[in-house]
Amino acid sequence: MFMQLTLSGLSQGAIYALIALSLTVVYRATTIVHFGHGDFVMAGAFVAYVLTVLLGVAVLPATILAVVVLFLLGLCFSRGLIRPIRGGPHIGFALMSIAIGYVFRGIARMIWGREVFPMPRLFDIPPLFIGNLVITGDALFMIGTTAVMLIVFFAVLILTDMGKMIQAVYQSARGAQLIGINVNRFNDLTWGIGAALGAIGGVLIAPVSLLHPDLGASFLIKGFAAMTLGGFGSLSGAVIGGLVLGIAEQYCGAYINSALIDITAYLVIVVVLVLRPHGLFGRKTIVKV
Amino acid sequence: MKKTLLFFTIFFTLGSGLALAGDATGVSDDSIKIGVMGPFSGNASSYSKAQVGMMAYYDKINQDGGIHGRKLIAIPEDTACDPGKGLAAAKKLISQDKVFMLHGNSCSGVATAIRPVVENAGLPWIVAHAVSDSISKPLARNIFHGVPTGSANGRAMADFVLSKPDAKRIAIIEHSNDWAHSYSNPARARLKEKSITPVAEVTMERGQTDATAQILKIRESKPDFIIAALYEAETAIFLRDLKKYGVTDIPVMGTAGTDLENTLKRVGDPDAVKNYFVLHFYVDNLDGPKLKPWGDMIKAHRPGEDISSFSYVSIGSAMALVAALEKVGPDLTREKLIAQLEKIRGLETGILAGPITWTADDHQGLKKAAAAGFIDGKPTVLRSWGTALQ
Repeated sequence: MFMQLTLSGLSQGAIYALIALSLTVVYRATTIVHFGHGDFVMAGAFVAYVLTVLLGVAVLPATILAVVVLFLLGLCFSRGLIRPIRGGPHIGFALMSIAIGYVFRGIARMIWGREVFPMPRLFDIPPLFIGNLVITGDALFMIGTTAVMLIVFFAVLILTDMGKMIQAVYQSARGAQLIGINVNRFNDLTWGIGAALGAIGGVLIAPVSLLHPDLGASFLIKGFAAMTLGGFGSLSGAVIGGLVLGIAEQYCGAYINSALIDITAYLVIVVVLVLRPHGLFGRKTIVKV
Repeated sequence: MKKTLLFFTIFFTLGSGLALAGDATGVSDDSIKIGVMGPFSGNASSYSKAQVGMMAYYDKINQDGGIHGRKLIAIPEDTACDPGKGLAAAKKLISQDKVFMLHGNSCSGVATAIRPVVENAGLPWIVAHAVSDSISKPLARNIFHGVPTGSANGRAMADFVLSKPDAKRIAIIEHSNDWAHSYSNPARARLKEKSITPVAEVTMERGQTDATAQILKIRESKPDFIIAALYEAETAIFLRDLKKYGVTDIPVMGTAGTDLENTLKRVGDPDAVKNYFVLHFYVDNLDGPKLKPWGDMIKAHRPGEDISSFSYVSIGSAMALVAALEKVGPDLTREKLIAQLEKIRGLETGILAGPITWTADDHQGLKKAAAAGFIDGKPTVLRSWGTALQ
């Protein structure tokens, strides 16, 4: 049972990690917590669904197209709605992201109502049986895909010039601007990458959770919890936070009470903020006055 | 002071009783105005198919000449499944439209909210879709339940489970909300009557996408049957995960909130749903020969209406209403109708799986529901384990 729970927790955690990472990418660059991100995840899944089920596009190209569409959507969101309010109060960003999330959800509800749709899988991998342990195709695929995504992401960040540019902006937007980096364009790109990562999350989640307009809402809070646990702004922390949260949910559900699964994320947020506000891998912020 | 109070109490009690006794508000020589509340808009608008089916039945009765020369005039009012809007709709129908009676209501939250208003107004109300027991219990003289209530459904679920030979070890998985408890608590009570304590009771909340922890706990308890009070999406996830962990040999009993065909569609694997059973309100499959004439009737009077599992559920109580109106005769009043409704005994509708019986002491008219499951891969209505409903 322990191993099975750990494996299941890892596969759920991989999704949380992906969502937390996309939230962190945006947060690191813009200091905006994207409250509408769950609905970008849902939108990505629905775009893939429309392409696959309604238009008959094969699953893999449909997924790639959905990621591209969401990347452009993220870009447009930044360019059209975030950039114009950049000089305003910070709360404006939060409200704007909540508003756009609800707009997406409203559109999805208008078109699909509250119906729940089965989503085709990218690959149908048969389960592996090792004694009592069942390693499902979904778990393998989710963990595998997330791992590959993370390797690519961190390789770009650490090994390429573009990655170094991103790190420069992360360290100081003003400093980056002074050495000629177009920070506005970089921010647009960041929103696009965040939305694209969200779309990948959506495409991975939807075959497991089924597809419906409220899909993203529950995953958003898991993403926040993972982000809090890992430390705000820490990219690797977001990933580890997601994995730890996924496993913690399973252990709490099986060994304490199944009703705890749903509140584990909230408990994590409360406990971490009280005991270690900068999370596992975040840096302490010291403000000098 | 006490005498004055007593005088006014007697005066108003007699007064309201006399008013009700002769109250024919909403009745004319050629029509009976009936307020039909339902969620005609909003997220729960699919439930309003129940009211559409019911109004199609009114149309059929009117086409056949009405009742004692009077046509049934439905006045639909949208509640959007929202208690606030429901209250406004009820007040409008009662005070402004001055309907003779109310018939309908799909959402328990709305029906529970409007109960005090309707009870106070005294007009007859047949609840034709919402299932919460609290709508018609404690008994209100003018409120009748025309579908099996939550407690009847919970008992029916437990009875079906226990009809499986040697089913003694029962596990329960449920949401932690009132809707799930309206099924699971009566089922628990029924199991208790049979001296059975569930071997596992686990919670799966809405929105959860993985049931591993719950299934491993259930599997450890080695149940003979699982009662699942889960919504559609979570039911599909639970069944799919059961298959994933090789637990397809344990049958699962679901609520009337899910149906076999859609569950199969969502799970996408016949092997995962082969042992899934659901509560079923009807005498036949939705596309079966016993329900087909009623589907045709709805389409004849409401062209373009798509038939769903909700379309038939309120027609049974409409048949009971028509039977009572016939019995009352041409001199129709609210009190006479209530008296006749209380005399309905064992009315077989040919649609609902159980008969309707209303008495002066019990206005919850249906005590039985059938079950449905995949038998040889085909959805089949069952009276009990292994016995088809004839």
